[in-house]
Amino acid sequence: MKPDPIRLELMKNAFAAIADEMAATVVRTARSSVIKEAMDFSTGLLDPAGNLVAQGLCLPVHMGSFPPTLATVLKKFDGQIHPGDVFALNDPYLGSGLHLPDIFVFKPIFYDGKLLAFAAAIGHQTDIGGRVAGGNACDNTEIFQEGLRIPPLKVIDQGKPVDAFFDILKLNVRVPETVIGDVQATIAACTRGERALIALAKKHGSDAIVTDMANLMDYSEALTRAEFSAFPDGAWEFEDFLDDDGFSADPIRIFTRIIKEGSDITVDFTGTSPQVKGSINLPIAMTQSSVYACLRSVIDPGLPTNSGFMRPIHVIAESGSIVHPISPAPVAARGLTSMRVTEAVWGALAQMLPNKVFACGAQGDFGVTIAGYRADARPFVLLEFLFGTWGGRPDKDAIDALSSLAVNYSNTPVEIVEREQPIRIEQYAMRQDSCGAGEFRGGLGLVREYQLTGVEEAVLQVRSDRQKFQPFGLKGGHPGANAANRLRETDGKQIALPGKFMRTFKRGERYRAQLAGGGGWGDAFARAPDMVWEDVLDEKISRMSAARDYGVMIGDDGVLDVAGTERLRSARRAAE
Amino acid sequence: MSTGKHRIAIDVGGTFTDLVVSNSDGSARTLKLLSTPDDYSRAIGDGLSRLFADGTTDPKAVVSLVHAFTVATNALLTGRGARVALITTRGFRDVLEIARLRMPQLYNMDWDKPRPLVPRRLRFEIEERMDADGRIVQPLDPASVIAAVEKMRGQGVDSVAVCLLHSYMNAAHERAVMELLRQHAPELSISTSHQVLPEIREYERTSTTVVNAFVKPVVDRYLASVEAGVKRLGVEAPLMVMQSSGGIITADTARAFPAYCVESGPAAGAIGAAALGEMLGEANIIAFDMGGTTAKACLIEGGEPRLTDEMEVGAGINIGQRLLGGGGYLVRSPTIDLAEIGAGGGSLAWIDKGGALRVGPDSAGADPGPACYGRGGTRPTVTDANVVLGFLNPLHLLDGDMPIDKRCAEDAIRVHVAEPLNLSVQEAAYGIHSIANGAMTRAIQAVSSEIGRSPREFAMVAFGGNGAVHGATLAAAAGISEIIIPPASGVFSALGLLFARIQHRLVAVFWHDVDKVDCEALNGRARQLLQDASEMMSAEGVPTANTELHLVLEMRYAGQSSELGIPIASPMVTRPILDEATEQFHQEHERTYGYCSRTERVQIVNLRLRARSMDRQDHLPAPEALRTKKAHGASAAERPVYFGDRGWVTTPVIRRTALTEQPRQGPLIVEEYDTTIIVPPGASARAVSGTVRIRLDQAE
Repeated sequence: MKPDPIRLELMKNAFAAIADEMAATVVRTARSSVIKEAMDFSTGLLDPAGNLVAQGLCLPVHMGSFPPTLATVLKKFDGQIHPGDVFALNDPYLGSGLHLPDIFVFKPIFYDGKLLAFAAAIGHQTDIGGRVAGGNACDNTEIFQEGLRIPPLKVIDQGKPVDAFFDILKLNVRVPETVIGDVQATIAACTRGERALIALAKKHGSDAIVTDMANLMDYSEALTRAEFSAFPDGAWEFEDFLDDDGFSADPIRIFTRIIKEGSDITVDFTGTSPQVKGSINLPIAMTQSSVYACLRSVIDPGLPTNSGFMRPIHVIAESGSIVHPISPAPVAARGLTSMRVTEAVWGALAQMLPNKVFACGAQGDFGVTIAGYRADARPFVLLEFLFGTWGGRPDKDAIDALSSLAVNYSNTPVEIVEREQPIRIEQYAMRQDSCGAGEFRGGLGLVREYQLTGVEEAVLQVRSDRQKFQPFGLKGGHPGANAANRLRETDGKQIALPGKFMRTFKRGERYRAQLAGGGGWGDAFARAPDMVWEDVLDEKISRMSAARDYGVMIGDDGVLDVAGTERLRSARRAAE
Repeated sequence: MSTGKHRIAIDVGGTFTDLVVSNSDGSARTLKLLSTPDDYSRAIGDGLSRLFADGTTDPKAVVSLVHAFTVATNALLTGRGARVALITTRGFRDVLEIARLRMPQLYNMDWDKPRPLVPRRLRFEIEERMDADGRIVQPLDPASVIAAVEKMRGQGVDSVAVCLLHSYMNAAHERAVMELLRQHAPELSISTSHQVLPEIREYERTSTTVVNAFVKPVVDRYLASVEAGVKRLGVEAPLMVMQSSGGIITADTARAFPAYCVESGPAAGAIGAAALGEMLGEANIIAFDMGGTTAKACLIEGGEPRLTDEMEVGAGINIGQRLLGGGGYLVRSPTIDLAEIGAGGGSLAWIDKGGALRVGPDSAGADPGPACYGRGGTRPTVTDANVVLGFLNPLHLLDGDMPIDKRCAEDAIRVHVAEPLNLSVQEAAYGIHSIANGAMTRAIQAVSSEIGRSPREFAMVAFGGNGAVHGATLAAAAGISEIIIPPASGVFSALGLLFARIQHRLVAVFWHDVDKVDCEALNGRARQLLQDASEMMSAEGVPTANTELHLVLEMRYAGQSSELGIPIASPMVTRPILDEATEQFHQEHERTYGYCSRTERVQIVNLRLRARSMDRQDHLPAPEALRTKKAHGASAAERPVYFGDRGWVTTPVIRRTALTEQPRQGPLIVEEYDTTIIVPPGASARAVSGTVRIRLDQAE
């Protein structure tokens, strides 16, 4: 029977409101910058079978990971799920599909003695133990080095906290106050979700709510299929590369083939490199989530995000490949690979939908950890994920300085970093000329420079990429500038560092993270000279780049030289 | 004919300019004019001239003139403000443009970031640096400031924002820059971040300071023009201006800190609702204002509208937006916390690709307006649904001033909703009505259940053109049992201005773990705040003896980023008082977030002080006096109304004047000039002190 279209709309809003209310609770009660400022967490509402009904306004690439993770809880605790319970886990090979710092919590919601739903949250913890603070080291070779592995556990048993869990967690992490506070924030969010859903059940009855959840997922599926059906049928391929895994210098290939048939889309990664020694292996659930985020971005942004949307999407990834690793492959820094997967998928989608999809952005997930001990022996961990900028779009420029659409991650205020950590940030700015030229140019890459000021030494650990393979342009647009890591030692000597490294960071040294720029879209010589001139006036590009990349002359007086521009541009036309 | 002394409120919105005059003899007048967007002060002059023309209002007898305006918001929305330059610390000129890197909507490839109010070429870095404790790391190099000033020349700059890192801890460098600017470019308007917003977080502080700089010359000219016009008409009372926080300040203060006034208009309605509640003995209220394109909800607790720390201008209407941010120009200043949703009388109904019925956020606007206005609109709106369902008069509104064509409403709903969804017209209309209610319920939840308040403990004050049509149904959905419909619903925001008091809010950073606080240091900081407040209030003409003070410790668990305000009685804090405040913090955390954690470290982050004049309006306009003109369009004595599950119910229609203190059972429709009140079956309504009170039976 076709569901009541009016009720559908009402319940859609009600479920979304609950997931968002949960998200607001996490932001307001969390302790770490990575959660409260950067918003590296997610909230969701799932049906008793483990299907995602609604996701809070949080991290898109977490979207696909709730259902498989809850499935492992359901399997292990079949028959032992009671009101007041809370379950937690973080192990990617036992379900979570993310990495150890991401702790999942699930709270069953009962009404009238019946299991109605699960409230769920993921929080990225500032530390999870292991050999390197922050839990993101690239040079781990097995997951055992990456920190505390938590299998599916009951951590609150009918309202009573299981001390063993909290005690073990507290002892294994470097900043227990922060981590326990953040786990509590995610549990508080689930409690809020529980309260709100029970209020809804009181009003509508529990059976009706379960039916509404199913209808809402069917509705999302129908909307998604309608959009997919309007896309052309066919197959499109794209490849992009990661520089290396931090051990060998070999590039890592991400290959994707998108097959669109009727209202289904298959994304096949066969041909992608095997899993690697370093920790950039991407567990399958996050590979799927990355694909979901890309496909979600080419259809109506207002469509409700739930398991129904995922049904017409099929992901093929060979077991043992970097996009479907086998235990005990390390996965801590898998965020880099996730970004590259989204870029490859968008690259293929751009061929299918050339008027819709942007050129490659500098998606980032450039992880910086600075950790050590203060003079009074208190530990500190600065954990930052840097994101950059978008690629040029088919009808307009990229947005300068905006997080990847797949993560919508925020930054941490410089003043907050300096207040909480023995670190000074010397610069946070856009890099001139880092954008890929195009009729619609790519976005400018960002730079962030750190100086250790408050302690004698610390560990500096960085995971980054795009030093060798630049973010691609489309339709003749240039690629964005490469990323780089630079260190200025206390004697003033500058050294270049690879994408993935760990080293001692001494007081007075300055580490400079330079993110890549976004790729351009279309022929740069077709860009309106006025727009080039504006960019020169804003020092976003130099006069040299204007002439070389765009064929636009700006005089010494800073004024647009129309005749000179015409000369440059016609010279190139003649050369073609 | 003398009506005694007058208090005048002027609320200038984008479409209408509303005036309310309250006289000391208890009488009152209201006036509604079209706004004059080319020069908003003109409608004010015209309105006042009309009030003064017939002699009942004497300009010399005006004792108070309170104003809410939209000029600052409009400047931001249209990009027509000052040409602003920004001076900032070396390395950070892009903070304003990088912002928080996040967008307010997920998955939208087509989104655009708001254009920075200062282009990159006008953002200048100078040589200086403070650390997080306010210690000078690198002294200010005056030559770098002068170089920046030189570069500004010839660029048309008329306003400068100064925001240096950690200036909230030590403002010495910002002050020095200000001095240099005054010396070398005395013609420039200056806004410094330590004055506008002395708080941590460089993006938020920069953005707020830049907004201030951007609207300052515009607001300055505008208020000067209003003041001159008022003076020309013979009014001697000083012009007072509503801030986003609901307090009023002199026009002079507003000209220095216009960023505090960007939500001037919406604040007035909430203040009015709070004041009405006080008159009626209701301290806990959800104010609900439904107009043509949006609906707004606001929580009033213990007689005070709830405040939020920041808002974004131009971010669009979206509750989720409140969480992510990034969609507009951020202003961090105390602002009455309004949840706004794109559902008003003119909101359009449509069917999405998945076959679901949706309402808003697109609106039919004033032109062509809903289909039933017969002005060429063919797409169905919430008002059309309300006409079809009998909630609104099927023949005319505004007592006959506006004819209604029910057939057009039915046709629009049939073609665009009923037939595609295979529903009857009335089912479709009821669907539109219900979905609008669902969206508005979301706004009510956003200000109540989402922050741990049960709507059941609140009464609703419903106003705005459509507030009373939907109020009772919404209240029922939210579990609210008492609804108050104020007099003069259509100009209620202007009325609210009359109740506002002179107010300043101050903040001082005081960053310490509670168990390590030196009480004397805290008291010293608090006394300094009190002294500053006292000086500011004196400058507004309020003597200290007449100032009411409210001191709050902003507390949180160590590491959190949002605080809860815990009041303390005076700057004579002792250890037991701090312990008591800490206990209150745990309890408030439990209430707001559902848990507390007594073993964790608690921090104090800020001291906040609200200084407010104790002078209140000494007389309230008699609600009866606010009655608008007499009806001339005859209404039927009853009409059929579609109440969902109950189907069509024959419902009596009465004039507001016919309602007495004797409760009348619903279903009932009460009509007056600009308001239609729906009393659903099972509810009852009565007239109380000029308001209409509806009581719902909320069976649990």
